[in-house]
Amino acid sequence: MRGTDVTLLEEVRQMAVADLGFDIQHESLDFLTCQHRAAMDPLNYDVYEQCFHNLDIVWYWGALQPIDTRRIRQWDNIGDLAKAGGISKYTWHGHGDAPVRKLYVQPDGTLGQQPMPMISMLPTAHNVDSFGFDRRLFGDEGPEGSSWAWLLDRRARGRIALVDEPAIGIFDVALAAEANADLTFQDIGNMTVDEIDSLMALLETLRQQGFFVGSWVSPDQAEALVRADRVSVQSMWSPSYGNLGAMQGVFCESFPREGYRAWHGGASLARHLSGSQLDMAYDYLNWWLAGPAGALMARQGHYMTNAEGVREYLSPEEWGYWYDGDIARCDLKGPDGRIVVRAGQRRPGGAYRERVSRIALWNTVMDEYNYAARAWNRFIASLGTASQ
Amino acid sequence: MTAQPNNAGQEPLYETISRVLRHNIVSGRLPDGLVLIEGPIAKLMQTSRAPVQASLRMLNAEGLIHRFRGRGYLVGQASRNLTPIRKPLDEFDFDIPPASRSALAVRGTWLRVYDKVEAEIAACQIFGEFRVIETELANHLGVSRTVARDVLSRLNERGLIRKGATSHWLAGPLTARTLREKFELRSIMEPAALRMATDFIDHSQIARISDQIESGKAKDAAELEDALMRYCLGRAPNSALVEIINNNRLLLSAMDKALSDLGLPVDTVALDQYGTLFHLIGSRQINASTEYLREHLRILSYKSLARLKIVALIPESESIPKYLNRV
Repeated sequence: MRGTDVTLLEEVRQMAVADLGFDIQHESLDFLTCQHRAAMDPLNYDVYEQCFHNLDIVWYWGALQPIDTRRIRQWDNIGDLAKAGGISKYTWHGHGDAPVRKLYVQPDGTLGQQPMPMISMLPTAHNVDSFGFDRRLFGDEGPEGSSWAWLLDRRARGRIALVDEPAIGIFDVALAAEANADLTFQDIGNMTVDEIDSLMALLETLRQQGFFVGSWVSPDQAEALVRADRVSVQSMWSPSYGNLGAMQGVFCESFPREGYRAWHGGASLARHLSGSQLDMAYDYLNWWLAGPAGALMARQGHYMTNAEGVREYLSPEEWGYWYDGDIARCDLKGPDGRIVVRAGQRRPGGAYRERVSRIALWNTVMDEYNYAARAWNRFIASLGTASQ
Repeated sequence: MTAQPNNAGQEPLYETISRVLRHNIVSGRLPDGLVLIEGPIAKLMQTSRAPVQASLRMLNAEGLIHRFRGRGYLVGQASRNLTPIRKPLDEFDFDIPPASRSALAVRGTWLRVYDKVEAEIAACQIFGEFRVIETELANHLGVSRTVARDVLSRLNERGLIRKGATSHWLAGPLTARTLREKFELRSIMEPAALRMATDFIDHSQIARISDQIESGKAKDAAELEDALMRYCLGRAPNSALVEIINNNRLLLSAMDKALSDLGLPVDTVALDQYGTLFHLIGSRQINASTEYLREHLRILSYKSLARLKIVALIPESESIPKYLNRV
């Protein structure tokens, strides 16, 4: 299995080995290395676990083969967020690439949203992200919620960190720049060259004014920045909020009034698989949707596409907190057994349906990705890594 | 112009071209009223167009040729009311004297280096915007600045570089916007060219290509695209259109080449589409083949946008030549 630490947890691996009866090896990489190797080195993995937003690259490289949904036992139980683009016909689907736009393999070999029996990636874990902030500086969110504007707020100057992944980091700052009225984007999910230039110019100005502490590559670097009290606001992902030690309760997950930046993970089959190897890979995909893996994902804050299948593997308190937005009735443990949620806490943003109906945009590899990613990488290089 | 040592091979190219044209006019090889257009002359003398333009202006000033209401110049004096003769130069026993021929051959150096520079400049654009430094280019190629300038002027003609506000030569960046615009142009021009070319296509040639695709011998979509250009679109009786189509494809094929050098696998769907396209052309189904070409271009455009994203994985090559400076 080649993927990222979003889904390739050791706990997941052990459980899958026990349930499936064959050995499984994980190769966990950062986002960029992962997609690079998945495309360029397609023979050395069987299943690719990544996000829909960077599927384009690996798919058009020809490194993957279509998945036959008739071999996915839980296919009918997968929710409409992945299959149709939103949890209901009437919710706003968000800017950028909702996974459905890359889901179905069209007759001409491209990916599209016209439903077909063959798919590019089996939709599994997903979530909506925002940013983390220090309530000592920003106070409590209040009834209106916080704003993405805080991520580039002058009050936090010198104490701001960003995630280095271009298809994610660019959108965090773009949402911030639009929220504080520095810039406007005609379509924030598919920026033009001029809009990218303006955004990068703004970031360069802020960098020169000393706004940024640096960037982070992996979530543990982000957590270290918080624990060392070096940031007041930064890009941050759900599992990190349970790993902040003494800063838990001080450094909070935002519930931005503009809406969330969403992502959707999944698993794809390598092109070279056939025969019994292919059968084993299908077993593994089916195992992902069987429930126990989804329960592990839930304990770090991520949702599964067939939520009801996960429910019986969670305690009522866990289900209540993670999926229903209830106040935690007892301390809750993360995937590795450490306590990540204290009794009395309520998940910011509330229940699953509330959170995923407020998606501002999806992580996206835009049309101008090559241009944007190169500009972004030069900017990130000029920041240096915050953990050093 | 920068002063150059003016020995035999280093006379400005337009001087050599003027001498050859003058010789052919004065000796009566080219009749009065013959239309002279820079493109065919440049081709015959294996140079770029810019020096031909310069030499035509020179001959015009000398009164050997003159402007008329159409494109190009007419041989002979303006005062006489000449009927334009539109015929290829090689029908007139056009003569390049040995001395000029060797001068042109020396100047032809740039043709030998041109393809390499064109490929390098086209390929760099996926990495962003670059300034082309003329003196560095001359050093890199081991040629004079005049030759380097010829190379640059041809690149400019073909739309691969442009002059920036400070009159530096600039290349790139190749963005999704550029790509989209180029494909829009393709879908306007190429079906039109295919339709115009209908009566000029050699159908035995098309049958051979169809056979190759069917027997699985044609494995390279880029080769089939070239074949489509050469044997179909290129046959359109409008050389200006064919030239624009050719130039418009340059950057696109450079990107394809950069990706296939990386090991991007064969696009079998595209191969099938070329099979259908050549079959339609071969069976003279004109409406169906132009429609199919349009649809093929639409899909190709979509795939190219996706492939441009793959380009983001290619590290900015250390092999970018020294005459290119990132802007």
